[in-house]
Amino acid sequence: MTMTTTRPGLAPRLAALTKVVELGPGRLDKKLLDDAGALLQRAGNRLKLSSEHTVVALAGGTGSGKSSLFNALSGLELSPTGVRRPTTARTHACVWGLEGAGPLLDWLQIQWRHRFSRASALDKGDSQLHGLILLDLPDHDSIRALTDTEADRLIGLADLVVWVLDPQKYADASTHRRYVTELAGHEAVTVFALNQADRLTTEELAELVIDLNDLLRREGVEHPSVVPTSAVTGRGIESLKSVIATAVSRRRAAIQKLEADLHRFEQKLSQAMPMGESLSAPSTVDEARRMGLTDALCDAVGVPAVGEAMENVYAARSNLWVGWPYPRWFGKFRSDPLKSLRLDDVSSEIHGIATASVSAQSAEVSNAVQALADGLSVGMSPVWRTAVHQAARSRSGKLPQALTEDLSEVAPQLDRVPGWWRALKVWQYFLVAAFVAGIAWLAVGLLMPGRLPSSLELLGDTATLPWVGLMMASVLGLGALSGIASRNFVELGASRERERLEREMRRRVAAVSTTMVVEPVERELGRHHSFHTALRELSV
Amino acid sequence: MNTAMDDGRQESLGEQTLSFRPVTDEDLDPEARTDDTPAAGPPTGAAPDGGLPDGGAPDGESSGRGALEHEPRDGATGPGLGPDEPRAARDPRTDREPHDAPDLREAGEPGQAQGRREGREGPDARADEVVRGPGAQEAREEPPARRPSLFEKPAALRRPPPDDGPRPGDGRRPGEGARPDEGPSSLFRPASVFEKPPAPERPSLFVRPAALDGPGARPAPGQAPDGLPDSAIQDDAARQVWAEATAESTERPDEPASTETVAPDGERPDEAADVHQPGDPADEPVRDGGEPEPDSPAEAAAEAGTAAPESGNAPGTCDDAEPVAEPDSEPGSAPDAEEQPSRPGERLEELPPEAMEALTTALNALRASIADLRFGLDLPGSDEARQARAELLAQLENYVLPRVRTRTAPALIVIAGSTGAGKSTLVNSLAEKNVSRTGVRRPTTGTPVLACHPDDRGWFADGELLGGLQRLDQASPETGMRGLVIAATEKLPQGVALLDTPDIDSVVEEHHEIAHRMLDAADLWIFVTTAARYADAPAWSLLRLAKERGARLAIVLSRVPQRSADVVLKHFVRMLTEYGLGDIDRFVIHESQVGDGKLPDSEVTDLRMWLAELSVDEERRAQAVRETLNGVLDSFRTRVPALAKHLEAQVAFRTELRGDVEGAFLRALSEIDKASKNGSLLHGEVLARWQDFAGSGDLVRSLQLRKRGRAAKQAPERVLAFKAAIRTGLESVIVAAANRACADAAARWRRRSELGAKLGADLDRPSDELIRLTGRAIASWQEHLSELVRTEGVAKRSVSKLVSFDPDSLAVIFMVAMFSGGNGEGVPHRLVNALLGAESLRGIGAKALSDLRARISMLFDEEAMRYVRALDSAGIPDESVATRLYQATYNLEVVR
Repeated sequence: MTMTTTRPGLAPRLAALTKVVELGPGRLDKKLLDDAGALLQRAGNRLKLSSEHTVVALAGGTGSGKSSLFNALSGLELSPTGVRRPTTARTHACVWGLEGAGPLLDWLQIQWRHRFSRASALDKGDSQLHGLILLDLPDHDSIRALTDTEADRLIGLADLVVWVLDPQKYADASTHRRYVTELAGHEAVTVFALNQADRLTTEELAELVIDLNDLLRREGVEHPSVVPTSAVTGRGIESLKSVIATAVSRRRAAIQKLEADLHRFEQKLSQAMPMGESLSAPSTVDEARRMGLTDALCDAVGVPAVGEAMENVYAARSNLWVGWPYPRWFGKFRSDPLKSLRLDDVSSEIHGIATASVSAQSAEVSNAVQALADGLSVGMSPVWRTAVHQAARSRSGKLPQALTEDLSEVAPQLDRVPGWWRALKVWQYFLVAAFVAGIAWLAVGLLMPGRLPSSLELLGDTATLPWVGLMMASVLGLGALSGIASRNFVELGASRERERLEREMRRRVAAVSTTMVVEPVERELGRHHSFHTALRELSV
Repeated sequence: MNTAMDDGRQESLGEQTLSFRPVTDEDLDPEARTDDTPAAGPPTGAAPDGGLPDGGAPDGESSGRGALEHEPRDGATGPGLGPDEPRAARDPRTDREPHDAPDLREAGEPGQAQGRREGREGPDARADEVVRGPGAQEAREEPPARRPSLFEKPAALRRPPPDDGPRPGDGRRPGEGARPDEGPSSLFRPASVFEKPPAPERPSLFVRPAALDGPGARPAPGQAPDGLPDSAIQDDAARQVWAEATAESTERPDEPASTETVAPDGERPDEAADVHQPGDPADEPVRDGGEPEPDSPAEAAAEAGTAAPESGNAPGTCDDAEPVAEPDSEPGSAPDAEEQPSRPGERLEELPPEAMEALTTALNALRASIADLRFGLDLPGSDEARQARAELLAQLENYVLPRVRTRTAPALIVIAGSTGAGKSTLVNSLAEKNVSRTGVRRPTTGTPVLACHPDDRGWFADGELLGGLQRLDQASPETGMRGLVIAATEKLPQGVALLDTPDIDSVVEEHHEIAHRMLDAADLWIFVTTAARYADAPAWSLLRLAKERGARLAIVLSRVPQRSADVVLKHFVRMLTEYGLGDIDRFVIHESQVGDGKLPDSEVTDLRMWLAELSVDEERRAQAVRETLNGVLDSFRTRVPALAKHLEAQVAFRTELRGDVEGAFLRALSEIDKASKNGSLLHGEVLARWQDFAGSGDLVRSLQLRKRGRAAKQAPERVLAFKAAIRTGLESVIVAAANRACADAAARWRRRSELGAKLGADLDRPSDELIRLTGRAIASWQEHLSELVRTEGVAKRSVSKLVSFDPDSLAVIFMVAMFSGGNGEGVPHRLVNALLGAESLRGIGAKALSDLRARISMLFDEEAMRYVRALDSAGIPDESVATRLYQATYNLEVVR
């Protein structure tokens, strides 16, 4: 009792349980979930009904004397007793203080003809029992009970259960294995009445009570309250009455019972899904993990390689435009291996290869997603681990396609020709033309001196010829220089372009991965987190 | 004839036993003395009998001459020879017998016995008969003398003088000596004797001795009867009643002579006498009058026909110890005699040795197969199957095999029931001794307690029945459930032992198991319940089990309040009838003051009588034993195949799980296959590198014109990067496939069952080694491919004249060509084709692909092995055992 009272109120814990039930499907065992739902419903119903009444059930095996005890407690012969086994097949109820008990009895599904009431006028001595609803349950261990769960149902519903044991049956497995071992934490709402004490001598009774106490403690009932009774001689009835009266007058049994039930359920839950490190598992995908994912996805797309390829291809192709033309022309005279292999048309195809766009490698994409999920689900229970993986993979089927499409938009046009390339080409050809003009001048000056018309006198002036030669050399040099310089410019531009490209691609990869991977995963992580938060609240 | 004698005796046994009890040691002593004197003479006669069994006619003859010698031999031989053992046991008796009617026996018996023994397959039986014959004769001569107790004592007494040395039986006899003291119990003893099939044979010997003694100790008989009657009457009013009944049923008419003695006792003696007489006539033909022995046996069989089965077993099965014990119990020699008759009958019913052999072999085979049974996998139902296996095994070892081997062993009556039902109290009351602890604590009894007649003690102490339990003299907490306390008490009739078991329904679940194990070994079940408990579910499940097993059952309803007895009983009977158990023996014990752990005697009278009846009535007991045994054997028809089915289910489950793993990895392999052919490998980095390689001109540069004279140079950086990219791509494809396969396999296992989920808990992703191993495998595959291209990719001659190429680059181009799929129209295809020729391309391609597949398969095999190991660690069921189980069950049915 002291334990339960120090606990926070029932309401927050029930709210936590509601949360668990909400988030549980697919993550929790179906049976547990059903139990939780039933518990919630029971709690809701019981709390709605009369808090002025305490439902006390007499439970036990057949022949232990439940009905006799019921009659002894009520002082009337309400429940038929007998020697035939099993005797009682229907639950009987006796109410002390009728007002407000009706709905409760309806909820308990006690038949009208088995409801009795003790008018408080009749028994002033029993005024301390006012608010008691005493139930005489059918047995739980006879062959009849195999097909009848009435006793089970009411044992679950009652606020306080009095287990009626007798010297013959007090150690029956049917009582202990099925019920008593479940009773840990229920000490406050469980009483053991050792009935038929009149059959034993005092010493025997003492021995038996000790044995029973030991037995109950071994099964986890830490402070069992055992009351020896005898319905025949009336011995012990008063003590039992006073135990019940205490519970009834405190009006707390219903709450305590629910708390104990919650406690039991929570223990089952924590057994099925140990908290462990679960709460320390991340509830969001942190920056480092996002970066890691983006890196991995960039690798899957081949972003670095794409940049490198762009650089190389630009460099190679710029040569055609901005390079010094002479070596190129000279190279054409070399025989082409492709040509000698009769694969002339392949060269254009090779050229075509370099124009293909970017695409993502789906295997690498799925590995990247898997790695993220693996990292996030460390320490989670298998069910949640699977759930996180599933969330991560939920859209990864479409991820390669999405990446490919998105990145293709920014893929470098490898066959692109910048304007300055053309300008430089013109410049180079201009230089070539100047060189050719110089040659012509030289030829004219040397071969036809004096035969030139006067207007072209200057050309024939041999004194200018060295200057012309000098000019021609410098034109050649200028071409080579500008070729080298512009190539450097191309490389510089390409590397700048590459940086820009990679940045852009990373940005896009990150955006795609956020919508397609991180968000679903974070939803699952959030669910995991709030589920376990609820669990913790439940267990506090 | 002997049998006839036996029969007479058997019938009379009951009476005799009664009378015997009365016979006190003193009585015996005098008789014994008297017997002894005659014994000296008879021993020779006895010797022959013994001798016969041992060696043959000559021995018998010689024995006839030197009884002493023969006797010793007999004793010695008896023990040595399996079949002879009974004889040996008899021998002691014979010794006694000889005393009584040495002449007759010597003359007729030896020869007859020999002849019979030789001729008969079951020498024991014959011998017994023979022995009985003489005994019977003697008995006829002197019915009163038959009192076994007298004989026994006498035997003991006598032995010392004449045959002490020789008689191996003497050692046993000491026990007998003690038994004579037990006089009162002798009543029971007779019964027990009867019960004990083995004993009967010996008894026959004894009987004879008794008969012999009778003559010798006739004076004693007179005394004995008187003494006996009194005590017997007093003690065993009830028993007498039934004894009388039995006696009457048997051969009272003949009894006149015996009846002459005391009234109650007289009746018994009479009966005994009668028995003997009838038997005698039969025997006489052979020995005395030469009455046809066969007739007597036949009669005996007819009379004791019921007991026959047991007795039949007895001969074969009789333990040495038991026989000895029986002789001791001779006071009930009359009973023995009865038993003997029963034996003949049993013999008749008994299985021929070959059949027994075959049955034992079949059962042993079954036991071996069940022992080989292993249920490694924790599938639903496997706990039950394991338990069923343990039960079957225990039942075979503790009950069926011993019971088949020795059908005539004392009947084991197991008392089972709820905790607090009063099982121990009941046993204590029947035993009239606190053999089992009683108390208010539940559960009370933890160690099973077996209460039996002292004569049967040896059988249970050394026997194979419940052989797995350690025998104890006293219950101690340490031994717990693994022990069996054996308590001997003369208050219990011979041939029936009561086993007090732990409860079937208390919190201590080990008790339930031990109780069920005890029930598995029971010949009869006594189910105890109380007025408060008779509707308990566990009780009825046990009753249902008894019904299923076809076990012989009796029900005790105890703690019935006097005033409500009628109502309760009526209701209970109605419930029983509804369950189809309405015709079962029922006993009611009223609620009464339990003093010192025992009920008032009046409450257990019925039950005691029932036991005694069972003790005396060989036939009934044998039938009960047989029924239960048959029921158990019948139950094997369904229980064993059920086990085999479960085993098959385990094997099937294992196969399914393996199939799941194999399927998952096969699919992964085919995924990779597909990826390697449809060009999906050429994405991402690989594609970029390819563009790089081609666009930067390295592709063309890797081809060199031959005439330049420059050979291929070192692969440029870009080629290496390209190669690495291909490796990475391939790796990732494999790893992704493995990831999927593992997740798939684990998910399938999870779907299959809880066990699958448990086994596959850590197997939902590939091993950490996989990535490293894959990298290594792919790298070496690439090396292999380069090597192939270098060595086998000899360029076309026309090409090689013109162009040289860099093999590394070519290998890379080759890979791209391989992985790009399509129909050979791409650049890489055309390049490789032009350089190497189509044929070479195909050859290398095929080789490279199959090599790659082999390497991946190896990787996956390694991965799949983790699953197989996990499966194996859970246990490997052996399918062949299931087949053997079916076979063994079938064989058993055939043999039966």
